[in-house]
Amino acid sequence: MSNSKKIGFLVTGLLMIAGFVAWIYQYKEGLVLTNMRNSYSWGLYVSGLAFFVGNAAGGLVLSSLIYLFGVKSLKPFAKIGALTAFANVTAAMISILPDIGQPIRLYHMLLHPNLNSPLVWDVIVLNLYAALSLIYLYILMLPDLKGPLAKIALKVDQPKEFSEKWAKRLAPFSLVAAMGIHVITAWIFATQGGRDWWNSAVLAPDFIAVAVASGTAVVFIVSLLTYGFKNEHQQAYRSMAIIIATAYFVHIFLMYNDFIIHYWYGAHEALETLSITFIDYGLAHAFEVLAPLAAVILLLNKKIRQSSGAMISSCILLILGVFAHRFLLMPAAFDKIQLSMNPLGLQHNYWSVPISSGQYDPFIDTFVTKWHYFPSAIEITIFLGVIAFMCFVVLFAMDRFPIAGEAEA
Amino acid sequence: MIRGMVIDLEKCIGCRSCVVACKQHNAQPAGNWWNRVFTPGSSRHLSPPEKGREYFLPVHCQHCRNAPCEKVCPVGATYKHDDGTVLVDFERCVGCRYCMAACPYGVRQFNWEDPKKAMKRYEYQNEYTYGHPKDYRLNGRLVYMQSRFKGVVEKCNFCVHYLDQGLDPACVRACPGKARHVGDLDDPDSNVSKMIRDKNGFNLLAEKGTEPTVFYLPPKRKEG
Repeated sequence: MSNSKKIGFLVTGLLMIAGFVAWIYQYKEGLVLTNMRNSYSWGLYVSGLAFFVGNAAGGLVLSSLIYLFGVKSLKPFAKIGALTAFANVTAAMISILPDIGQPIRLYHMLLHPNLNSPLVWDVIVLNLYAALSLIYLYILMLPDLKGPLAKIALKVDQPKEFSEKWAKRLAPFSLVAAMGIHVITAWIFATQGGRDWWNSAVLAPDFIAVAVASGTAVVFIVSLLTYGFKNEHQQAYRSMAIIIATAYFVHIFLMYNDFIIHYWYGAHEALETLSITFIDYGLAHAFEVLAPLAAVILLLNKKIRQSSGAMISSCILLILGVFAHRFLLMPAAFDKIQLSMNPLGLQHNYWSVPISSGQYDPFIDTFVTKWHYFPSAIEITIFLGVIAFMCFVVLFAMDRFPIAGEAEA
Repeated sequence: MIRGMVIDLEKCIGCRSCVVACKQHNAQPAGNWWNRVFTPGSSRHLSPPEKGREYFLPVHCQHCRNAPCEKVCPVGATYKHDDGTVLVDFERCVGCRYCMAACPYGVRQFNWEDPKKAMKRYEYQNEYTYGHPKDYRLNGRLVYMQSRFKGVVEKCNFCVHYLDQGLDPACVRACPGKARHVGDLDDPDSNVSKMIRDKNGFNLLAEKGTEPTVFYLPPKRKEG
């Protein structure tokens, strides 16, 4: 095992342990250790769900491009796509576990699922997608399962043809399942008429756009780390850069399309959510737009695509921007009190009904209209643990299974 | 029968007796308030936003007919009783707080920590406890308990644990101005249906389509 691999295992291992310990501690003490409260009841963990679900799109992009649209240059990255999809969708599910107040009771999801709840749909589709990406990965690896791995190989006459045939057959299903995870995750939020910030028909298509950008960037990074810079991959780099750029511009269009129609009409509710995003969280919003923009401009430059380091940095910049975007799902939803009104008879007084925070403190108000949320150290530790888990899964699979094996185009 | 409530804002004097009675009877943990009363337009209760223009607004669970909280609950812990009351099964709730994100009224509250621990921290003396002491099960489901589990959501349960005894909710009984009324919304001749009809009963956030069963009667015009 190379030194960099050892360091990788060590760092991800330690972060996972730290995250797990933090979660146990939080489980014992309660979610009071987070900085969420009644008025701001979802934070980093749920943003994390959306973030990882988006990163899981890599499998969709690659398998559909390769096997449905015949983009051969991406073939060496197909297995990486399936693997990062699996790692990220699993991380998505793990990232909401610490958000659950009574995780041990989750078996009620099986015993008494409420089929009206988008959360139930999401759990179903995320599990389905995790299973599908594993199967996909297995099928793609099949011709290379040799030596000690031969015992887990399916006995077929011509593994190469078999693998090719089934990869092609599964591609449409994985495409649908992948669209499914983004659309349904978006519906968790978009169905909520009670939150103006989320209640938009554009949210689901936007989730797909963001996911295609960040999911491809994840595959891009892992591919470069695995194979290093290779001249014969130039065409693939170019394809991925174009996919990321297109997806990013579609995302910006969808997002600003929503902003502009609401801003133009100028209803109080809409202006308030926009002012939270553009003023209270102005810097974060600038970052979510400009960081990926910079990344896209860089990736589209031929010279940048000559350096593995420059491409990786650009992709990381893009993913950080997407993370900021996911974080910003919450502030404008929770810092705006839905129950706001002009008190009867007072035309110039727009007033919000405060919410009891759930925390008694003799020195601060229990009833609040804004909650200045920033994740607590426990939340950040747990979240880093989930990121580490995702990286660990990728590292581990790369180490044990023939994923980096160059498939012939 | 749909059990509904009418709150007559003309009669509400802003004393917050209902808030305290609710907190006490339902053993609400520190920092959680199922029922709140505000002075609309003002950041301080009882200080008028404009001279002589104050009125008071009690807000608690609106027991919506089209309740988003009930629809989003992944495990059916939040559910609707036959009489339209929206209840939380404390044993079923997994604590995902999706219902809190779904509720436009901000009336749902979470047990961020063990309520007993919080009581101790706030230095209540000699293990002092308050509230209806016995658990209450409705068709086997735990819809009231004095000492809540950590990590579950709670909210107004329309004092379902007093229903058997033929008692009105604590807030109704506590109101000195008789501003609160409970009755059958399905019966056009019930006291509440008549009041809603005769006195222009309205809902909070009617535009959200939640169809609350809690109605408000507007206060009369104030003399400047």
